[in-house]
Amino acid sequence: MTLIFSESVESVDLAARYGYDRWLVGRFLEYVPGVEDFLEKMERPPTQYIRVNTLKTSRKELETRLSSKGFELKRTSIPEVLAVEKAPIATGATNEYLFGHYYIQDLSSCMAVDALDISKDQAVLDVAAAPGGKTTFIAQKMENTGSIIALEPNERRARAMSFNLARCGVYNACILRRDGMHAEKLQMKFDRVLLDAPCSCEGVIAKDATRKTSHTPQDVDYCAARQDKLIEAAAMMVKSGGILVYSTCSFAPEENEIVVDRLLQKLGNVAVEPLKYGSSGLTRFGDMKFDNQLMNTRRLYPHVHDTTGFFIAKLRVS
Amino acid sequence: MYRKPTRDESTLINRALDKWGAFEFFKGRLLMMKENASKIVCLMPAELEVITRMQPFLAGLVIGELKKQFVPSMAGADLFARSRKRNKFYIIVNENAEKLVLYGRDIMGESIVEASDTLGENELVIVLNSRLEAIGIGRTRFAGRSLLQKGRVTVTTLSDAGYYLREEG
Repeated sequence: MTLIFSESVESVDLAARYGYDRWLVGRFLEYVPGVEDFLEKMERPPTQYIRVNTLKTSRKELETRLSSKGFELKRTSIPEVLAVEKAPIATGATNEYLFGHYYIQDLSSCMAVDALDISKDQAVLDVAAAPGGKTTFIAQKMENTGSIIALEPNERRARAMSFNLARCGVYNACILRRDGMHAEKLQMKFDRVLLDAPCSCEGVIAKDATRKTSHTPQDVDYCAARQDKLIEAAAMMVKSGGILVYSTCSFAPEENEIVVDRLLQKLGNVAVEPLKYGSSGLTRFGDMKFDNQLMNTRRLYPHVHDTTGFFIAKLRVS
Repeated sequence: MYRKPTRDESTLINRALDKWGAFEFFKGRLLMMKENASKIVCLMPAELEVITRMQPFLAGLVIGELKKQFVPSMAGADLFARSRKRNKFYIIVNENAEKLVLYGRDIMGESIVEASDTLGENELVIVLNSRLEAIGIGRTRFAGRSLLQKGRVTVTTLSDAGYYLREEG
């Protein structure tokens, strides 16, 4: 059940000033550091990132080509990811984009893939995979070897994903139109499983300002209930010693730490491993206290890390 | 439904790969047929073969379609062009034509920078830009030097890399 906190002078003032529902700002005050800076940051367009598709080109070659067109790019903590500081034309309108030399993808999303510690020839399951940004990054990390099974129940989204896979030259992936909740029907185990769970998208308000007021506590409840089922189904698909990465683009603890905490309680064979990016996950929220391992999960805040709002947990299944 | 190519299909595919100078690249790699209304040729690692029994929406990379002959997809053309064994079935166009081809427009003779004298009429060709990247697939309307004639469309564009965006949008 989504926690709602009592209104304060601060929450009422900030909600009025930035056009949010009060309940939402009241919650942000509980789990977002420097809320006013955060709300200010959400008023500006987010930094755009592109991920070099090393199946088709190199970072240096792409930097040279886009620079010659007037783009200004900056390297980031992930070698394949570049921040677009200046774009004379739409980033999705260059020939290099059409040829699949890069993918427009937030740094946070790439960090989730990075957390998988992928190597060649592995078997990977990507649950809720469309539109395929993370799948294509996984494929390039595997150099088109091994196998990726991408689950996407929706036909339109599966079709859009197939275009992205083709554009990026990915040939070690397949798309199955299945719901991740029933992943066990595959009767397979994987070295790596990625669950970028459908969420309430609190972290992308900068891209969609309507969420300031359209977002409801019921959305969080609905998503959290699904995420509980999805993460359990995903955990069952991991080989012993394998890794499950769980991520969302939400800040809500009900969709993040609480989901992971419940999984830890339910299954005795899962450990949370540390990650090199972001701020520590919460170990308490309201009057709830979580397993100390939750400190190893990571939160990415737009005003702190210059990404969309994101949560990542790296879970080792033994 | 996915299945392995028949012997006749394999022969047609191998001939095509040889034609596009990509035979070596595909040697030892798994090609599977996806057969619905058309026969699609997909490249995939051996690990995916077992998954094809689960009737996936897509498995591997569609490199072309088998009709009377093998017609490459854009993804196939891209792989062939990267195999660096360019031959007469590739033409190179200038920068201006590159932009037009990416919008699906046909190719004027004066915008062709390089085409083999030995190309025949009605041949399938992979269209490259000056960086030798596959930007489209075309069919010649003329043979040999006539492909370079000014003021006329000499190659019909059948598909192009801009297709991904137009279809996706």
